[in-house]
Amino acid sequence: MFKVFLFLFIFVNSATANEINLFTSRHYESDARLFKKFTDQTGIKINIISGKSKILEKRIFEEGNNSKADILFLADAGALYSAQNKNLFSKIKSEFIKKKVPISLRNDFWVGITKRSRILYYNPNFLSKKEIEDISYEDLSDKKWLNSIAVRQSNNIYNQSLVASMLEHNGVNNTKKWLEGLVNNFARSPQGNDRAQILMVASGEAKLAIANSYYYALMLSGKKGIEQKKAAEKVIPIFPNQLNRGAHINISGAGIIKFSKNKKKAEKFLEFLLTNDSQSEFCSNSFEYPVIDDKGVDKPEYNLSSNFKEDTSIDVSIYGKRQAEAFKLMKKAGWN
Amino acid sequence: MFAKKHKSFNFIDRSVYVFSLIISLLIIAPIFGVILGNISVDNEYFKFFSQTELVRYTKNSLFILISVLFITFFLGTFSAYLVSFYEFPFVNFFKYSLLLSFAIPPYIFGYTLSGFFENYGTFYSILNYFLDEKIINSILPNLGPFLGSIISLSLTLFGYVFILTRSSFLNQSKNLIEVGKNLGFTTFDIFFKIILPSARPAIFIGLSLVGMETLADFGTVSFFGLSTFTTGIYNSWFIFDDLKTANVLSFLLLFFILTLFVLESFFRKNMKFHNSTSSLKRKNEKINLKGTKRILAFLFCFTIFFISFLFPLFQMLFWSFTFPNSFDFLEIISINFNSMKLIFFASTVIIFLSFFVNFGTRVLKSNVLSFFSNLSIAGYAIPGIVISVAIITFFSLIDNLLHLSIKSYFIGSLAGLIFGYVIRFYSISFNTIKTVYLKINKTIDDSALLLGFDKLKILKKIHFPLLKSHFVFAFILISIEIIKELPITLILRPFNFETFSTKAFNMASNDLIEAAAVPSLFIILWSSLLIILSIKFFLIDKK
Repeated sequence: MFKVFLFLFIFVNSATANEINLFTSRHYESDARLFKKFTDQTGIKINIISGKSKILEKRIFEEGNNSKADILFLADAGALYSAQNKNLFSKIKSEFIKKKVPISLRNDFWVGITKRSRILYYNPNFLSKKEIEDISYEDLSDKKWLNSIAVRQSNNIYNQSLVASMLEHNGVNNTKKWLEGLVNNFARSPQGNDRAQILMVASGEAKLAIANSYYYALMLSGKKGIEQKKAAEKVIPIFPNQLNRGAHINISGAGIIKFSKNKKKAEKFLEFLLTNDSQSEFCSNSFEYPVIDDKGVDKPEYNLSSNFKEDTSIDVSIYGKRQAEAFKLMKKAGWN
Repeated sequence: MFAKKHKSFNFIDRSVYVFSLIISLLIIAPIFGVILGNISVDNEYFKFFSQTELVRYTKNSLFILISVLFITFFLGTFSAYLVSFYEFPFVNFFKYSLLLSFAIPPYIFGYTLSGFFENYGTFYSILNYFLDEKIINSILPNLGPFLGSIISLSLTLFGYVFILTRSSFLNQSKNLIEVGKNLGFTTFDIFFKIILPSARPAIFIGLSLVGMETLADFGTVSFFGLSTFTTGIYNSWFIFDDLKTANVLSFLLLFFILTLFVLESFFRKNMKFHNSTSSLKRKNEKINLKGTKRILAFLFCFTIFFISFLFPLFQMLFWSFTFPNSFDFLEIISINFNSMKLIFFASTVIIFLSFFVNFGTRVLKSNVLSFFSNLSIAGYAIPGIVISVAIITFFSLIDNLLHLSIKSYFIGSLAGLIFGYVIRFYSISFNTIKTVYLKINKTIDDSALLLGFDKLKILKKIHFPLLKSHFVFAFILISIEIIKELPITLILRPFNFETFSTKAFNMASNDLIEAAAVPSLFIILWSSLLIILSIKFFLIDKK
């Protein structure tokens, strides 16, 4: 009996030839469809294992040389930095990639594949455009917004990256004060996902919501049902800091694993993800923004990329460097 | 040590002893190896953590634990009491249908609850036919994180208390209510002074399972955004890369669990069992409820059934139909096949191991063995995330120490996945078998020994036939858990290997809760089917 078990397990473990193994923290069905296109074009099969970023990172780290992972694809620059810090990536050599993606969205070890902004939303029925026109992230700690701001919890990595960028721009002491003011302005104890925050604004329970850009597009697309589409139509997105550094930008990105035996194929795959066609798919399915020059990229109307000023003054890898510090300050300020 | 009691201290005894001990140790090794190997409180994050967070985490965990225990105790024992001793409309239906709550994982109940009550959610859509938007938004209840978690956990876990209490009531030899009445007790007194105490071991085992599930829960509390021990472990492990703080927290968590165990065995030891052999069992005459009481009893059971099972089922059906998601037919087949494979292998291994150790503990009467076997069921209280990382670390450690490379056979393979399940679900099987073993009078073993049976013959000829049907029951309980299990499967599964829970989670974590409806429905379907099977072939009252 035991031999049968052993045989089965070993059998399951064996791998076949023309394929690469992708570890991803992105769970979009549309990603899988896109990967299938790559397989159709090249004959290289993409094996997927999905999970939370840190879990994937730890698994590869623990497996070390035995790891079968070829690519790690993660949503959030901080997560990429953390994997880089553990020495999991090999350097990306492709000139195509270097040419296509601006330097603020990549480094030697990983490259941004999609882009998103963490922005504000308001409901014009409850707030006039004038009150909010030139708003900045810094303004959110103003007493004027007492009991008005909806945002998810501090353990959310997008929030940590946003606060990390604040740390980089404004320093520790200012950020500390800012956080105290912000937490004081919360409309309720943080809970739910980004979409729930936007819905709070639609219903008037909060005046301002902080949420990623693609959630709004997702609701407008009707994929979340007619009620949510109607709710999103009540809400207007607003990009902060347009008078100075621009709105906070984050990426989903990927790197090639150091232990990979398929580095060439992996690089080919990353290049594929950065073509105009692939970038168009990201724009219209997961509603993210393209990382390449968006001239040749098709996108739906409600995908608002290139309509605003982006913060390109700091590298996104800063988020990773300062995330833990940011989280600590958030907790200390009482952000649950 | 154990040889003193029986002359037959022989090769078989020794083998049973050694194997039982090895099994128990192997199950606890990864967890304790990792935790004890890394305990140290001398680092910066822990200082920060213990200053600001530790008290809050402890408070929250205890508050959730106590609330859930209290509610599951009330729901479980009272519904078991009603269906066991009284006659009212649909009583035979409720007797079994309340078990269907097992089919709903707490996190899916959480998705349901929040999707139903959120702004512009399902409840909104329903009310929108009758009311104006402003009025609806003002009356939608805002379930805070505590209420949301407590409701989700209580209504998906009370079944443990219900099922164990009810089976304990069924095994009572005399009509307890009659006895109480003869003594001049009121109905209230009969319930608290006779009926509840008579089922105390069952209630405590049920509550200890609920307690462990509650403390180990990560999906629900993190969905609702509560800081508890598990989210604390998760944060320190995954955000701060601080295995040490995570281990200190795991250790504290284990401490709470072990306290539950000690309490349980304390109560167990201080009890006398009033068991009878089945031949003496009299048919339990039920009391026919009249008037308002009849309606109230019906309403009580119906409400629990509705909220715990129909509500999530309807919400998932609603989502599946409102958002007809093109769910690949072939994928459904392959996921079903994956689930069957996992269930078959894991359950077989778990039942075999736990039966063997239970047998060893019973016949050898060794304190050492008893201690380790009791400890080995602690895996149930350990969050799946921790178990997964512990397994990875454990095999890395072995590889490094012994210069092997067995790790790759256990990470990203069915073997590792099953090992994870064994650690996590061992206690279900262990406790199920233990409960039955406690009811088998030990004098039977002694008589058999006097008749010249050796221990393996006792195992084969006496214990196995008596326990057989309970293996099926353990199999079903484990299967339901495996279908619902999330973190271990997520982390340790092989490439391209999806289960319904990983599929549902992937969708839900991508904020496509509606698209998680189809896989969630399959989880509910499978589990319901297994529950109904168990009722039909095992739990149905023998008349």
